[in-house]
Amino acid sequence: MGATIQCPDCGAANSARAASCRLCGDPLNATAAAQPGMQQKMLRRTDFVSAARANSRATTRLVLLLLFIGGLMGYVLGWNLEIFLGETAWELDTIWFPSAWGAWGATLMIAASLLWTLIAMKQGDRIVLRITGARQVDRDDEPILHNVVEEMAIAAGIPKPQVYVIETEALNAFATGLTLRRSAIGVTRGLLDTLNRDELQGVVGHEVGHIVNLDMRYATAVSTLVGLIALVADTAWRVVYVSGRGGGRVRTSGSGRGGGGGAAVALLILFLVAALAPVFAKLVQMAVSRQREFLADATSVRLTRNPHGLMSALGKLSQQAAPFPGANRATQHLFIVNPFKHFPEKASRLMATHPPLEARIRRLSNLGGE
Amino acid sequence: MELKLGQIIVIGLIVLLVGYVISAYNRLVQLRNQVRNGWRQIDVQLKRRHDLIPNLVESVQGYMSHERETLRQVVEARARAVETEGKGPEEANPAEQLLTGALGRLFALMENYPDLKANQSVANLMEELASTENRIAFSRQHYNDSVMAKNTAVESFPSNIVARLFGFRHATYFEIDTQERAAPQVSLR
Repeated sequence: MGATIQCPDCGAANSARAASCRLCGDPLNATAAAQPGMQQKMLRRTDFVSAARANSRATTRLVLLLLFIGGLMGYVLGWNLEIFLGETAWELDTIWFPSAWGAWGATLMIAASLLWTLIAMKQGDRIVLRITGARQVDRDDEPILHNVVEEMAIAAGIPKPQVYVIETEALNAFATGLTLRRSAIGVTRGLLDTLNRDELQGVVGHEVGHIVNLDMRYATAVSTLVGLIALVADTAWRVVYVSGRGGGRVRTSGSGRGGGGGAAVALLILFLVAALAPVFAKLVQMAVSRQREFLADATSVRLTRNPHGLMSALGKLSQQAAPFPGANRATQHLFIVNPFKHFPEKASRLMATHPPLEARIRRLSNLGGE
Repeated sequence: MELKLGQIIVIGLIVLLVGYVISAYNRLVQLRNQVRNGWRQIDVQLKRRHDLIPNLVESVQGYMSHERETLRQVVEARARAVETEGKGPEEANPAEQLLTGALGRLFALMENYPDLKANQSVANLMEELASTENRIAFSRQHYNDSVMAKNTAVESFPSNIVARLFGFRHATYFEIDTQERAAPQVSLR
C-alpha cells in the first residue's frame, strides 16, 4: 500500500491496488479491464471452490463439537445424579465405571438438541426484519438494488429474495431465510448512498452467499445448542449447590448412599463441566459465525467473479462512524459487519461474531484480488 | 431359519449399495435439471434484452439524429436475434454476438451526448440494460457452474458407474469467442 493513483474520471486519489475508483466507481486499471485474458487468468488462480469446501468442513466439525459438549454435559450430569440419587453405592474405585444414568443423560441431551433445533427451524427467521425496522421496497423505489439482488440470485440459481431497506446512516446489510424459496436481503440507506454498483454487488453477493449456504439454519441450530447447554449448565449448578451444601440433607432424608470420596470427585467434575461448557460452547458458536462469514465472502466472489467489489466495500465499511440503532445480540451474526463496533484485530477476537475486516480483506485478496 | 453373521453382512452391504445407487441417481437427476433450467434461464435473459432495445432506440432517437446508421444496425441486429429465440445456442449465438457489437457501438456513441445521460428515463433504461447484460453473463456463469457440477458427478468414482448405468452424459459448456467477451461498457455516471 501507500502508492496512490489518480482516477482518470474524477481525479480522486486511490490506492494503487484498487480496481475501480472509490468515488465514481470507474475502472482504474484500463489495461486490466481491456484485456479479457487477464480476467481469465485471474479466475484460474481463484480457488473459491475449495475455499468453500474447507469452510463447510470447518463448520461441520464445530457443530459436531457442540453436540459432543452437550452430550458430555448430559453424561456428567446423569452420572452425578446416579451417584446421589441412584441405588448403587459408589466408592472411589467403582465410580469410573460407565454410568447408565450418564448414558441416558447424554442421549436425552442430544435428542433434546435435535428436537429443539427442529422446532426453532419452523419460525424465527423473520425476527430480524421486525427488530431492525426494515421496510420492504418496490422495484420502482430502488431499481438498482432490485437489479443487483436479482443478478446475484441468477448467478446463484435461486429464486429472487425479497428486498428490504433500513433507513439509517450506518453501513450494513443482512440476509435471512431458512429456505431458498423464502428469503430476504436488507441493506441500510447509508450503504446504498455510499457504495458504487460493483461494491453493492459484492455485498449483495455476500448476503446471497448466506442464503445459499443456509447460514440461517446453521445459526439457528448452533444458537439452540448453545442455549440448551447453558440451560443444562444452570441445572448442573443447582445439583452442585444442593449436593455440595446439603449433602448431609440428602443423606438424612433417607437415601444416604452418596459415598464419600467418590461422590466428591464426581461433584468436582460436574462443577468443572458446568462452569466451562457454556463458555466453551459460546466460543464455538462465535467460531462458527466467523467461519460462515468467511464462507459468505468466498461465495460472493464465486457469484460475482470479482473480489475487488467486496474488498473495497469492506474497506468502506471498516471506516464507518455511524452506529447502528436496530441491532442486538440476537441478530448481530446476520449482518455483513458487526453492527456494534469495529473490532480491532486483537481485541475480543474469540468472542466476535465476525472475523476482523482486515483478515476478511486479506483472504479475499488471496482469492485472486491481488 | 437363523441367519448367519455372513448373511447379515451381505444383506447389509446390498442395502447400502442400493441406497447409494438411489441417492446418486437422484443427485444426477437434480444436476441434469439444474443444467437444463440454467439453459432456459439464459434464454429468458436474452429475451429480456430484446424487449428492452426498442424502448432504448425510441428514447435516444430524438437526441441522436446523426447516428441513424448505428441505430439502424442495432434494430436490425435485434430483429435477427429475435428470430433465433428458442432455437438453441448454435443458432442464437452469432446473432447475439452481432447485437452485442452493435449495442457496444451505440453505448460508445451515447457517451458523446451529455443531454442523454442527464435524461432520467434514458438513465433508467441504461441501468436496465446494464443489469440485463449482467444477468446474461451471470446466467451463463450459473449454467457453466451447473455443467461443471454435473460433469464432476458423471466423471468421478463411484458416481460415474451410476451415471453410465442410467445414461447420464456430459453436458457441454457454454463458450463464446473473445469478441463477445468484451461486453459493451455501460457507464452510468
